[in-house]
This record gives sequence, C-alpha cells and structure tokens, in this order.
Amino acid sequence: MVNFLYGIGFGLCFLVLFVLYRGIFGPGVFNRIAAISAIGTKTLVLLLIMGFIYNRAEMFIDISIVYALLNFVGTLAAAKYLEMEK
Amino acid sequence: MISNSTDIIIKTVARIFIPFIQLYALYVIMHGHHSPGGGFQGGVILGASLILLLITHGHRQAMERISEKLISNFFSIGVLIYAGIGLLCIFFLGNFLDYGKLANLLQVDIANARSLSILGVEIGVGLTVMAVMVSIFYNISKPAQSRKNEENHDKSISER
Repeated sequence: MVNFLYGIGFGLCFLVLFVLYRGIFGPGVFNRIAAISAIGTKTLVLLLIMGFIYNRAEMFIDISIVYALLNFVGTLAAAKYLEMEK
Repeated sequence: MISNSTDIIIKTVARIFIPFIQLYALYVIMHGHHSPGGGFQGGVILGASLILLLITHGHRQAMERISEKLISNFFSIGVLIYAGIGLLCIFFLGNFLDYGKLANLLQVDIANARSLSILGVEIGVGLTVMAVMVSIFYNISKPAQSRKNEENHDKSISER
C-alpha cells in the first residue's frame, strides 16, 4: 500500500514539472494563474498522500483544507488585481 | 479600490463558503492542542474569510459589515485578553502568564486551569491576528483619493 502511495506521489511530482513549464514560460498572465492554481491542487493531493504514508491522515487533512482555501483566495485576489489594472 | 464583483458565480460561492470558513477557523483555534493550528493560524483563516468577503463584494459592502473602527476595536480587545490573563497571573502572586495560579479563581485543578487559560490566550491572539490581517488588507487595497474613484466607478457600473 505504501509503495502504491509512493508511486502516486512521485507521479504527481513529475506532473508538476509540466505545469511549472506553463507557469514560467506560459504566454500571458492567465496561463500563469491557472498553472499556479493547478500546482496548488497537486500539492494538496501530495499532502494527503503524505498523511496516509505517515499514518496521520487526520492531521494532514486539516492542513490540506487550509491549503485549498488559501489557494482559492489567492487565485481570486490575483484575478481581481488584474481586473483593477485595466 | 475594489468594487463589487459583477460575477454571480464568484459572489454566490463566497456567500456560501464564508460561514464555513469562519467555523473552520474557530475549530482550528479551539482544537489547536490536538491538531496543527492554534491562535495565529486560526486568526489567519478568520482573516482570510473577511478578505474573501472584501474581494468578492467590494469595499463598500465589506465596510458596512465590518468597519475599520470595529477592526481596530478587535485588535485592541485581543491584546487586552492576552495581557489581561498575563497580568491576572501576576495579581495572584505568580509570574507573567503563570497559568497555574488561576486555579483558585476558576475553581478547577491546576492542570485544567492551565488548559483553560491557554485557550483564552489563544482566543486573544486569534482576534488580534484576524484584525491586523484585515486592517493591512484594507489599507493596501485603498488608494488615497479612494472615495471619489469609488463613486465614479459605481456610477459607471450602474450606467452599463
């Protein structure tokens, strides 16, 4: 079971690289915001997997809820800032 | 100046989420000794809920709900709770924040008195952090001649 979780975790870490490419070189700001949001979602799943590996899922679920919330608010704030720039 | 959002999805999601975010923040403050969290983290989440309200509903509506004066009252009350518990311990012949001395006042044994007073201190820290977060966000998102710009912006939206 732990090996399975490690496999999923490393797979997600590998997928983050593709999204990171879009975040660094992506044309335009909106691609970058979407990329950061996607990386945040992947980090959230990674946190949960880490929780299951350490057998302390209830603790990591708390952290990942906060991470999801701050990711949402951050994306919204960036979008609002760009709207105000116009 | 942040104006009222015209997107109904964002506003509805924020309106549904904000009470649950605040409930979760209270959980983080109260449950800080069993799980990650505590006063500071819970205060940041509580502040994030109010910042979400400000981002989605604009300055004017957020100011109606929670004005800058109320925010400054909140951070004074938070510091007052923290320092008050600390000074109360000095009053009962202990050191600053020496919670065990409050056992007689609360009429519980020493371990329970420590637990309860730490919870009180955490509530104070949470209130202060929440108020300071919201206050900083109010101040950085409001330019100097904000009032005039806001009125023009609202007028242009209503004309549209």
